[in-house]
Amino acid sequence: MVRQIIASLVAIMIFPLIVTAGDTSAPKSAYLYIGWPNDGEVIRSGHPFRVWFGLRNMGVAPKGVDRHAAGHHHLLIDTPLPPFDEEIPSDRNHIHFGAGQTETMLELPPGKHTLQLLMGDAEHLPHNPPIYSKQITITVK
Amino acid sequence: MLIRILAIMTMLNVSAMTAVWAEQTPAPKNARLYIIWPPDGAVIKGGKLWVRMGLRNAGVAPKGVEMANVGHHHLLLDTDLPPLDEEIPSDRNHLHFGGGQTEARLEDLSPGEHTIQLLLGDDNHVPHDPPIYSNKITITVPPY
Repeated sequence: MVRQIIASLVAIMIFPLIVTAGDTSAPKSAYLYIGWPNDGEVIRSGHPFRVWFGLRNMGVAPKGVDRHAAGHHHLLIDTPLPPFDEEIPSDRNHIHFGAGQTETMLELPPGKHTLQLLMGDAEHLPHNPPIYSKQITITVK
Repeated sequence: MLIRILAIMTMLNVSAMTAVWAEQTPAPKNARLYIIWPPDGAVIKGGKLWVRMGLRNAGVAPKGVEMANVGHHHLLLDTDLPPLDEEIPSDRNHLHFGGGQTEARLEDLSPGEHTIQLLLGDDNHVPHDPPIYSNKITITVPPY
């Protein structure tokens, strides 16, 4: 009995680790990266700058378009990765590019900021496995 | 009578032509297509490279997706722009990226000069009206 309870407790503890992403599969070779700015880039305050979304071995599709090996970009600003098994939040820290955009202009207040990309499927859920870029840090001054 | 027939024939002709034009998807306003990398004049050792395809003020959608302000990339290798009111050819000089890809892997480019140009196609692989295409760049692959 005690052993069963322990077993189910262990199962409960392990199970959340398994549910880590949505149902849409992504190619293992998919590679998401920020083409510009570079990690550590210093950007002049008061000047909007362009962010390039780099994606290899996978395609871009607007939101609502359910295609194999495709998704749309989300730019995470000053925030860690959100949970992979939920819809990506949509707020000032999680910018959605549901029209299939592959670059954007940003203007950020002075200071250090982090940028990271995360692909979402037709329903804004991360893929399985999730496709995200390295997080970079830039300084606006 | 003859004039009336001629007039009707002219009208039919005009409407037929208009219909053909109307099939082209209107271009997204201010859309700009460009090659992020490589730069014009780049020397590519080994003849292998990733071409990064840049699009501004418009989005990328896979082939067959009919939406406003989107298209998919076509890479023209060593060729001029095709007719801009019909389906873009699909062959070794006209590479289609109907999966919504934004980077193109080119391999086994022979030594010498090569030109690269991008052309956006709509859900039916037809250029928009007006057509959206990039500058044509020239890259050089040195002798192996």
